[in-house]
Order: sequence, then C-alpha cells, then structure tokens
Amino acid sequence: MSGNHAPGPYDRGHMSADTIISGQGVVKRWGSTTALDGASFTVQRGVTGLLGANGAGKTTLLGMLLGLHRPDEGALQVFGLDPMTAGAAVRERLGYSPEHHVLPSDVQAFDLVRHIAELHGLPRRDATNRASDALYAVGLGEERFRPIGTMSTGQKQRVKLAQAIAHDPQLVLLDEPTDGLDPMQRDQMLELIRRCALEFGIDVLLSSHLLEEVERVCDAVVILGGGHVVANAPLGELQATRDAYLLDVDGDVVAVVRGLEQRLLSVSREGTKLIIEVIDDAQLDTIRDVMADVGAGIRRLERRRRSLEDVFLELLEERHTAIGAQ
Amino acid sequence: MTDARILDRSYRSYDGPRSGVIGAMRTVTLHSMRHALGIKRRHGAKVFPVLTILLAYVPAVVFVGMVALFKDFAIRENALPTYAEYFGFISAAIFIFSSFVTPELPCPDRRSGLLGMYLASPLDRNTYLVSKAAAVTAIMSILTIGPLLLMMLSYTILGQGPDSPLHWLITLLRIIAGGLCVAGLHTSLSFAIASTTTRKAAASAVTILVIVGSAGIANVLVFGADQSVYIQLFNFLRLPFESVLRIFGERTQSNDRRGIRLNEIPAAVTIGANVAWTFAFAAFVWLRYRKIQVTR
Repeated sequence: MSGNHAPGPYDRGHMSADTIISGQGVVKRWGSTTALDGASFTVQRGVTGLLGANGAGKTTLLGMLLGLHRPDEGALQVFGLDPMTAGAAVRERLGYSPEHHVLPSDVQAFDLVRHIAELHGLPRRDATNRASDALYAVGLGEERFRPIGTMSTGQKQRVKLAQAIAHDPQLVLLDEPTDGLDPMQRDQMLELIRRCALEFGIDVLLSSHLLEEVERVCDAVVILGGGHVVANAPLGELQATRDAYLLDVDGDVVAVVRGLEQRLLSVSREGTKLIIEVIDDAQLDTIRDVMADVGAGIRRLERRRRSLEDVFLELLEERHTAIGAQ
Repeated sequence: MTDARILDRSYRSYDGPRSGVIGAMRTVTLHSMRHALGIKRRHGAKVFPVLTILLAYVPAVVFVGMVALFKDFAIRENALPTYAEYFGFISAAIFIFSSFVTPELPCPDRRSGLLGMYLASPLDRNTYLVSKAAAVTAIMSILTIGPLLLMMLSYTILGQGPDSPLHWLITLLRIIAGGLCVAGLHTSLSFAIASTTTRKAAASAVTILVIVGSAGIANVLVFGADQSVYIQLFNFLRLPFESVLRIFGERTQSNDRRGIRLNEIPAAVTIGANVAWTFAFAAFVWLRYRKIQVTR
C-alpha cells in the first residue's frame, strides 16, 4: 500500500482493467512540509471518495493528477498516462471543479461553461449546445444567463459542476463540492454527483473531509492521513471487514467485558451496552460462551454496521499508533 | 405520425472532434481579446478600449483627410508627421492601453481562480501565457500598426504613398516592425507588473509609476545631471518610440541639446535594448507563472 509501510487489510491498491488512476510511492513536499509521503493507491471506475482531514494532502494530490505539480518521488498515472509528460492528453479527458467559490462575477454562467467546454477542444457550436445541456442537468437551465456574481453559493457550486462535465470528460475531479451548502443543497449536490456516474457515465473522484457525504455517494474510498494512504478499498468492503455487534448485557457487565477481552475481542462499553468488533462468525460463538460462563443475560444482540466515520477514526488511530511504535 | 414529445434533453456523450492545445490557445486568445475590448461586458469596461482606439485612429483619419483636401506638397511636408513620428501621436493610446487594459487579462484570472480552470484544460502555464500575450499583442498591434496601415493605404489610393513597390514594401515592413517593437515592450512590461499582483488597480498604478518614473529619472540623470546618455535605455516611455525612429532610419529632432544627445546612441543599441527589455520582462512573467501555486 503506502510506499513505506506493509500492505494492510484495507489496501486494494492493485491495477485492473477498470483502474483509471494509480499512484506508486508518491512523495510531494512543499518546503519543509511533506504533503504526501509515499502514497500508493489505485482508483477504479465509479465514484471514489478522496478522504482526509484538512491539510491531509487531498488538494495537492488533485493538483498532481492535473499535472500542475511534479511528484518529488514516485509515479502517478491517469488513464495510464503520466500527467506531467502527457498533461494535455490527460486534461482533455478530465473535468475539474475547484474548491474556491470565487468565479468571475460579471460573466454569465452559460458563457463560463461554454468557454471551458471550448477550452477542452469542443467546437463553438457543440460547446454552446452542451453548455446549455450541462446547466440544465445541474438544475440551472432557467438561470443560465445570470451573471455568476448574482448567484447563491449553491448555484455557484452547480455552475462549477456544470463546467466540469460540459465537455463530457471521462473523469471529474471535485474538490469539496458541497462546501458552503445548506443541508438541502448538499443533498441535491450529492444526488447530482451520483447521477454523473450512473446516468452520464462519468467517473468521479470526490475530495472531501465530510465522511457522511462520501459514505452516501461513493463506491470506494482513498483515505489520506499524514501524507500516507491509510486505506484504499471499496466502501462496502471497508465497512464489512469492520463489522461490530451491539450487545446489551443483563447482568455483570464488568465480568463480561473481562471475559471478552481475555478471549482477545475488541470491546468498548457504554453503560450496559457493549460494542464488540467481530471479524468472523466464530467470534459470535465466543460471545455466547462468555455470557454463559458469567451467567449474564442478553437483552439485545444486533449487528451494527460501522459508519465510515468509525472506520476512518480507527484507521487514523492505528496509523498514529504504528508511527508511535516506530 | 405520433404526438410524442421530448420532455428531457438529458445529458449526452460527446464523440466529436476535439481541437487539443491549439484549439484551447485559440479560445483563450479570442476570449481575452473580446474581454480586453469590453465586448459583452458592462459599459464601464468599454471606456478605455474605445478611448484608446479613438486616440489611435482619429489623428490618422484627420491626416488622411488633410492629404485628400490639400494637394499642396509643401503643406503636406510641413504639417503631416512621418510614419515614425505618428507613433508619437498614439503614445497616449498605448500608454492608456498598457496601463489600464492589459492588467485586465492576467489579474482577474488569478484572482477569480479561473487560472486553475485554464490549467485543468489542455493548456499548461506556457501555452496559457502565450495565448494571453498573443491577445494583448494583437490588440496593441491594432493600435500601433492599424492607424499607420490605414494612412499608408489611404495615401497610396490618393497617389501620395511610397514611390515604388519596393519602397512600399519596405515602409510596410518598417510599420510592422515598429508596431511590434512598441507593442512588445509595453505588453511584456505591463504583463510583468500584472504578474506580481491579482489586483488590476494596483497593476495599473504600478505600470504608470514605472513608465513615468523611468522617464523622469532617466531625463533628470541624462539631461539634468549630465550622466551617460545610455541611461535613456532605461526610459520605458521613450525607448520604444526612439526604436521606431531608428527603424524608419530617422533621428530625434536634433535642433536642441536633448535631441543631439539621444542621437549619440546607435540605432542597433536602441533597438537591441528594446528587444532585450521585451524578452527580460517576458522571462520575468514566465518565471512568476512557473512558481504560482494554482492548487495546493
């Protein structure tokens, strides 16, 4: 997985026919700050979330995929091409929606989208038609001739998405596309992003620090932490391997916790409720045995699907522990 | 026939041709020219472009009218400027354009984040800069070359143009070379200043300061303190117009002490300095844009 540590259980950094992006040991430094430190990963077709705390290196990675920054070490490929040496060919097939909200205020949304489509090589006539189509697709059909400066943050985010997809790219890079949106606008934006993949056939790399939205729309994730790739796997696989059970104990909770931990199960306690990490069915038998040994009753035992946030925090914690051990 | 209706155009894939880097450069150049000329922009954005075009072309139209009205050779010779001298008439237009219009092109792109979108297209930093510079140079050439071509063509039609086809061709080449000299230096200088800030107003103010300031300092040192006349090569207001005079084989009016001193500088040095400054400023812009972080 990451260039400087052994592959973990959540590393799916292998190449396949569906691989559209791959990185091997990518290092990028900004002065004394190391933004990426040996990151290795692959991105397959579909919607992939690029997750990480602020400053984790997400935007740097997007810039490198666009060929704007050269890796100090390692190799990066988009569509099998090096973005630094084949930048024009790569970028012609890419759409990009930047993080910032500042767009030219006196320009009409339609003019901006058409201009960006022309920049990606579309003839004027096609760019004109597709600019309208893209703005209709993001729900700005009636607003397309408004100056961008008069639009709300939600509408500006839609304009950014429209300009990113108007030229029919193979892949769009979306940098924090829900930033500044209210909950309803965010729902609509996430729905649009999902439609990009399902209806428009455009693969999406969604950079975000909001785990919940990544969980809602993404098929897979690349999680960055401290410049490393902490996890790179399909979302379902990542969550399934980290399934947990909620056990509500009727009896001596302390004894049950002790018994479970003696049998090497990971347990966290909230009152009479225990969250137990379970990797296979044999461990369910272990729970049953411990309860029988202690003589405690089971009020409730149910599978608790772990949220991406749980997984994310655990992975980062593991990462910090590993660094501390080194 | 059925009464089917299209309810949703939906999103369609595009399989047509793409014009690649050349197409992207053409798009940026044309878009920038339209932007600089205030086309499809608010009325306030049209003021300076219209003003500069009027300042550049109105004298030419007046002089053509004079040639048409006064057939007297003596009047023409005494009252009308030479082609080289006409550059002096359009110096105000060029000054306004390079100070107020040129910063319109690079500054807002960086300020609004459009630069990031441009560099996410087939363009890279170099092709982006070439496209922008081409747009400015093209408009500047409309100001510097256009009026002189108008004059030459009109004079020719009125039977008052260059004597022979060869002379006509030489004059044409001199007009183009002179126009490019002025356009190149002013474009690169104002671009270099604009590359240091995202604020148009600041870029305009600094451009005015550098052009006027360089002229003031050079004149004080050369004509006031009697220092080396070569300091005039740092006079960005005068240098391009001196270069034009040299290209046309003319000299500064030498009936005063200043003219005599300026003529001490050889033509090759004057034109060479103009070209050198143009490339130096262009190199500065290139270095600045290499270091600009678009995303991080």
